Amino acid sequence: MTVRPGKTLRLPLLLIGSAILFLQYFSPVYPAATAFAASHPDALKIGVLAPLSGPYAAGGTSFVQAATLAVEQANAEGGVFGQRVTIVVGDTQGRVDVAKAEALRLVSREKVTALVGAYLSEETVGIMEVAAAQRKVLVVPVAATAEITDMVRREYARYRYVFRVGYSLPQWADMIAAFLSDRKVRRYAFVGAGIRWNRELGEMIERIVAPRRIAPAYTAYYSPGNPAFDTVAVAASAASPDIVIIADPGRNSVSFLKRLREAAPAIPALSVGGALGDARLAASLPLSTPVYVQAAAWRGVSPAATAYVERYERRYGAPPVGYSDTLPYDAVTVLVAAWRKAGSAATEAVVPVLERGAFAGVAGTYRFDAAHQAHWGTAPGALRGTIVRLERGGARIVFPPR
Amino acid sequence: MASPFPQILLDGFFTGGTYALMAAGMALILGVVKVINLSHGAFLTLGAYVAYALADRGVATPLAAAPLAAVIAFAFGVFLGKSFVNPARSHPFALPVGTLACALLFEQAAQMVWGPHPLSIDAGDPWIGPGGLVVRRWGVVAFLSSAVLLWGLKRVLSSRPGLPLRLIAEDEEIAGSLGMDVEAIRYLTFGGACAMAAAAGALLAPSGAVTPTMGRAPLLLSLVVVIVAGMDSVGAIFLISIGLGIFGSACAWLLSPQWSYVAMLAAVCLLLSARPAGIVALAGRRD
Repeated sequence: MTVRPGKTLRLPLLLIGSAILFLQYFSPVYPAATAFAASHPDALKIGVLAPLSGPYAAGGTSFVQAATLAVEQANAEGGVFGQRVTIVVGDTQGRVDVAKAEALRLVSREKVTALVGAYLSEETVGIMEVAAAQRKVLVVPVAATAEITDMVRREYARYRYVFRVGYSLPQWADMIAAFLSDRKVRRYAFVGAGIRWNRELGEMIERIVAPRRIAPAYTAYYSPGNPAFDTVAVAASAASPDIVIIADPGRNSVSFLKRLREAAPAIPALSVGGALGDARLAASLPLSTPVYVQAAAWRGVSPAATAYVERYERRYGAPPVGYSDTLPYDAVTVLVAAWRKAGSAATEAVVPVLERGAFAGVAGTYRFDAAHQAHWGTAPGALRGTIVRLERGGARIVFPPR
Repeated sequence: MASPFPQILLDGFFTGGTYALMAAGMALILGVVKVINLSHGAFLTLGAYVAYALADRGVATPLAAAPLAAVIAFAFGVFLGKSFVNPARSHPFALPVGTLACALLFEQAAQMVWGPHPLSIDAGDPWIGPGGLVVRRWGVVAFLSSAVLLWGLKRVLSSRPGLPLRLIAEDEEIAGSLGMDVEAIRYLTFGGACAMAAAAGALLAPSGAVTPTMGRAPLLLSLVVVIVAGMDSVGAIFLISIGLGIFGSACAWLLSPQWSYVAMLAAVCLLLSARPAGIVALAGRRD
């Protein structure tokens, strides 16, 4: 039988071409934002770096959606010095090399005024070098490794452009430790994807809870590619912890929670990293035993948080997860507020304003310490974050106690 | 407290069932159409989203979603087979690249329609077996489905209606000279295999998270199973799947969860270096 490829391939080629055009024009969020930037050459551009593909695409998409919302809010309030603000997005794919290349592209080709990102700690440490070399303000919303602010402290002159609105790992561990104490936990299991911040968070929690006489009963990290959930869930339940901390910012946290419920239906779980914060999941997850979700802010925590959640829901048709969206929203909000306070978007003018100022965000009021780290934790005046318990049809704030 | 090892072995057994479910369709495509179909995982994802869409509309059992997913995937598979796989088959590198592109396009489309966030279907309570062993409901479904599917495939291949498939797998030219419509059988087989993947996706959807890229990991593992087993032995595919599932779980328990995948792939590499044609072929059971 003779096949004439030219003729038979015409239809699929046409379909693939149409699909590419369709994706080009109707992909969520970022191409539209890029197109907007191109059509407004005088706009102040913020380069947003987040993974829009790969295992962390869900968090990255929330990240970009929230940044878009923050920019829309800033423009609704009149923009900055009469100029509109826009974002240009770089897809980091969850990879350090791609993140660095994208950061460089945003700065050199897109001429962004400042950067917001990235998502993973590894990526963020990579793009810090770009921000330092190009002297651009970099606001870090999500990445939590202590190395970021340690670098600012050690080499202030080089990294003084870097500010983190999100919590650092020691602060995060402090907040989790306070919750464990509140729940009278004595033994916990810590499981999650074998990525850098998880390992550091696990070690940090262990150190911080030790004086409170809380100890890990089981610790395991699975490969994001092949998580071996069953074994981890069975082993975690066999250790009989009072609670299982699920540290996974990706989709695997849902699957793991299901396995855990099958293996240990009576052990509560605490999800950190945001993936289980999607309230839509609550309808299909077994919730007879508590499932807690740690977030930077949640509906009802403050009027600002409630207003943000309602805006987000109106814009995207689903509630925010309270972590990978809320912190990027606040990162953009803080940056825009600093531009306004400085009366300029120039890096040298903005850095001192960020160092000395106080900036209102969804999670509270941000102030930065000498290492350019926002104050989070249990100390007086610090941003506290919140922990909610998932329930059918929503979630209830359970911590800090009110 | 009793050792959790029996539970881990049981879970590995059911995990192997999920590998077999995917590998069944993959073996059919490799054996008859003789292409590496890298869009096979995308059809699994399609099935899972069909199950989610039905669950979202109140049809909560994936058993109802599986036939619908299979029909949709069959239609897509036949289209893909007829319009792309058959014409491009003579170019050895075109098909893996082309089917991978189709998979990526599907993932992007799924992300646009359902969003990138993980979705979930209620998995129901597990059954408690003898000695307190937890028997995962969807693990049992995957195991039984794969057993039935592979048994059915074996029956079809050894019966008269399966003769064209066997003949095409052996020698296409002879099949063509006997008046068989080789092209049609190829794209129908491709569609059938895609339907099997989609049905598997629908059945497995409640066990984890439904996401646009959920088909990637099973794709690789099913490919591994088919290559190790040798693609013309249905029974070996089933046994290798179960064996790999148990081996992976045991390694996760005895070594570390992060090393189980590495250990599995290392074992596969060792096997293939000793038995490049698959273990069944070397055991002398091929003919």
